[in-house]
Amino acid sequence: MTRREWIALISAAPLLKGGPRAPGAPVAIARCASYDEDVTARLATMFDQLGGLDRLVRAKTVTIKLNLTGSPALRVDGRPPGVTHYVHPKLVGAAAHLLGRAGARRIRFVESAWATGGPLEDYLLDSGWNVRQLLAAAPGVEFENTNALGKGNKYARFKVPDNAYLFSAYDLNHAYEDTDVFVSMAKLKNHATCGVTLSMKNCFGMLPASIYGDDAGVDEPNENPKSGRSKTMHEGRRQPSKSAPSELDPASSREPGYRVSHIVADLVKSRPIDLAIIDGVESLAGGEGPWIKGVHRVQPGVLVAGLNPVSTDAVATAVMGYDPRAPRGAAPFQTCDNTMLLAERHGVGTADLRRIEVRGVSIAEAMYRYA
Amino acid sequence: MMHRMAGCLPLLTAIPLLASVPPSAWVPARWDGTNPKTLDLLSGTPINCLLLNTYTAEFIDRASARGVAVLAVLRPGGDPSDAARKAIHAGLQGIVLEGDFPRGAATRVRDALADAHATVVELTSRARMPLGDPDPIVATYQGVWPGIQVLDNGAAKAAPSGSPWIDTNTGFIRSVRAWGPAAVWLGYQPPANSVITIERYLAAISDAEMAGARWIVALDGDLSARLQRGDADAVKVWRAMAQVLQFFETHPEWRTLRSYGKLAVVQDKDDAMLSGGILDMIAAKHTPLRAIPGQRLTADSLAGASMAVNVDADALTVEQREILKSFARAGGTVLTAPPGWKGQSALAPDQITLDKAELDRLNDIWHDVQTMTGRKNLGARLFNVASMLSNVLATEDRGQVVVELVNYSAYPIENVTVQVVGTFRHARLITPGGAEKDLEVYTTDEGGTGVDIERVSACATVRLD
Repeated sequence: MTRREWIALISAAPLLKGGPRAPGAPVAIARCASYDEDVTARLATMFDQLGGLDRLVRAKTVTIKLNLTGSPALRVDGRPPGVTHYVHPKLVGAAAHLLGRAGARRIRFVESAWATGGPLEDYLLDSGWNVRQLLAAAPGVEFENTNALGKGNKYARFKVPDNAYLFSAYDLNHAYEDTDVFVSMAKLKNHATCGVTLSMKNCFGMLPASIYGDDAGVDEPNENPKSGRSKTMHEGRRQPSKSAPSELDPASSREPGYRVSHIVADLVKSRPIDLAIIDGVESLAGGEGPWIKGVHRVQPGVLVAGLNPVSTDAVATAVMGYDPRAPRGAAPFQTCDNTMLLAERHGVGTADLRRIEVRGVSIAEAMYRYA
Repeated sequence: MMHRMAGCLPLLTAIPLLASVPPSAWVPARWDGTNPKTLDLLSGTPINCLLLNTYTAEFIDRASARGVAVLAVLRPGGDPSDAARKAIHAGLQGIVLEGDFPRGAATRVRDALADAHATVVELTSRARMPLGDPDPIVATYQGVWPGIQVLDNGAAKAAPSGSPWIDTNTGFIRSVRAWGPAAVWLGYQPPANSVITIERYLAAISDAEMAGARWIVALDGDLSARLQRGDADAVKVWRAMAQVLQFFETHPEWRTLRSYGKLAVVQDKDDAMLSGGILDMIAAKHTPLRAIPGQRLTADSLAGASMAVNVDADALTVEQREILKSFARAGGTVLTAPPGWKGQSALAPDQITLDKAELDRLNDIWHDVQTMTGRKNLGARLFNVASMLSNVLATEDRGQVVVELVNYSAYPIENVTVQVVGTFRHARLITPGGAEKDLEVYTTDEGGTGVDIERVSACATVRLD
């Protein structure tokens, strides 16, 4: 596809019909040059453009999966992680405030904190977040580290309804089940393994290292995990704890670019995302965190939100200057499968820009090329 | 004897001008050249003691007139006594014996200068430091250059899941200070053939001062030359160094405080003299600790502690083992290294860090230490401090707690949280440049006292009352 064809496609996105039958949903884009701007107002406008939060969250428990990947001790150029590879705490606070204002009964922030089963509050403090401010942002705010059992007494099993790719089901922290609404709050980033990491790839972080980590127990979960998930999930060099379902086909590819994207598609099929919010105000290009060689800071100055994660990620991918339907081998999926297409095949949503209505700022106006 | 006394008479007249500042309060710097005009650089700095390789009468006079002590640096090679006598006769206030002199040399120099009451500082290898001696100053020329270890590709040395490793002398300093009240000087010099940023100089000063020692200020050749030419950038670096020095030196009371940590680490002297060992590993986790040399283990030294790590069990006497047993019987937790475990066997003169084999052996007990300490608040818990080290101190009655923070990165750190055991009503943030401000105090989930600090540049201190 030529550049001219590409621009024509994204400009005509809301007008064209066609593509696969997976559902679509509108996606809102807003310009936001800095976290010092009124991010609450920006988000409020976007939520209104999506039909309003009230009907989605009133009197309900809302669980928000944050993207806080990698140890909070690791920084890019010494900068706070919120302006590089974590979602920014101001945006998180703004979302909590708006959810509370819309009547959410309980707002539970969750993340599988890297290499620890300790309280998420400690992890946030180590990230330089003001936990007290976040608690005060709305009534009923609470936190859960989903890297292990946490405050629950058993893991929740999420079955992949049909034609699972790698696992028939995944055992996750109770927080992902004990909720009425599930929100994925991600960062607009490249990813060394998956090309891009957006609202769907953020959900890879739901997997508890207690079961899927490199030091997970062989038979039962290790409730004091101290490692990531590379051996088990990225590379398939060992199986998860036997308490959880094992791989459908242990002879399948061990290539991370195959495995992670398929696992993510399975996860978002089994634990649907009701609202996707992507922080592209300030971010990283070239990789997902400081441990990736060649990453650099970028300032796209954009926010993306939508009610369907595939469509939201497709729009966000286009904002990054990529074709969201690009096949393996084409940027940004040079060495991996396209998670959006895998999720689309699962019926989660459409990645076809022609079937997605973009509200607010257009893709062309918001575009910030990562490549 | 008469001859000796006669020889010393001129010395006696040369000494007393600076008697008002005791050697233990000297703030030292190495000084290049003898141009008296360079002394103007000392204006506005707390530096009051210069170490000279060469000297002139005019320089000594001008320095003395400013209340600055000047010390002659002598190095091994021949009998230093004559050179020492000559220096004191010329009006210098003391001698620095830098290097490992033959045994007895320092004693001979002291004898030669006995009637002059001149100060003799032994700037030795760590292995030969006269710990526990009555000298006002104990010093070493060895030290690690403080800062975050950087790999060849420019990245901070750390595992993907880990914190950046900070090279520090603080564990070593804590161990040395546990031997007695002498002022501790670190005379290591900036690494050669390196571009040294302002942050690294500030870290060198703060690393020593935070632990209660003093780095003998030393500039790399390029900076020194530019400073003497009056180069604006060099002056800016110098002023920043002076400001951080002033920050610590205007609070001498911090040196007198005791560790607020409930964790005691009992360690043999040879292990404690190395950097990068168990003390630095625990400090990197910001667990406040007190260092206790095995040879100085007493019941009093464990007062207020709730946990003890006994690194070299075999090195303790029967009586000392009984002290640890009593500590455990009184409710304390004691972690003892595995049977037969032994740390550093003999300290080589040129060794100041653990080698890989020693580090591997240390992992035997490091895992257990981490399990034992866990998330427990053993005096204070600090957050968002991966590029920092800290020291948590208290007055004797524990009514005032001081948390010193040093940032080893090239960037200010925003939003640091400190949670201290105990109830405190007031917190004050003190930073270089004389700025002070009150911090909001809140009660933590554990019932302790919490404060949030908006920003820490090179260093900062929180005082809680």
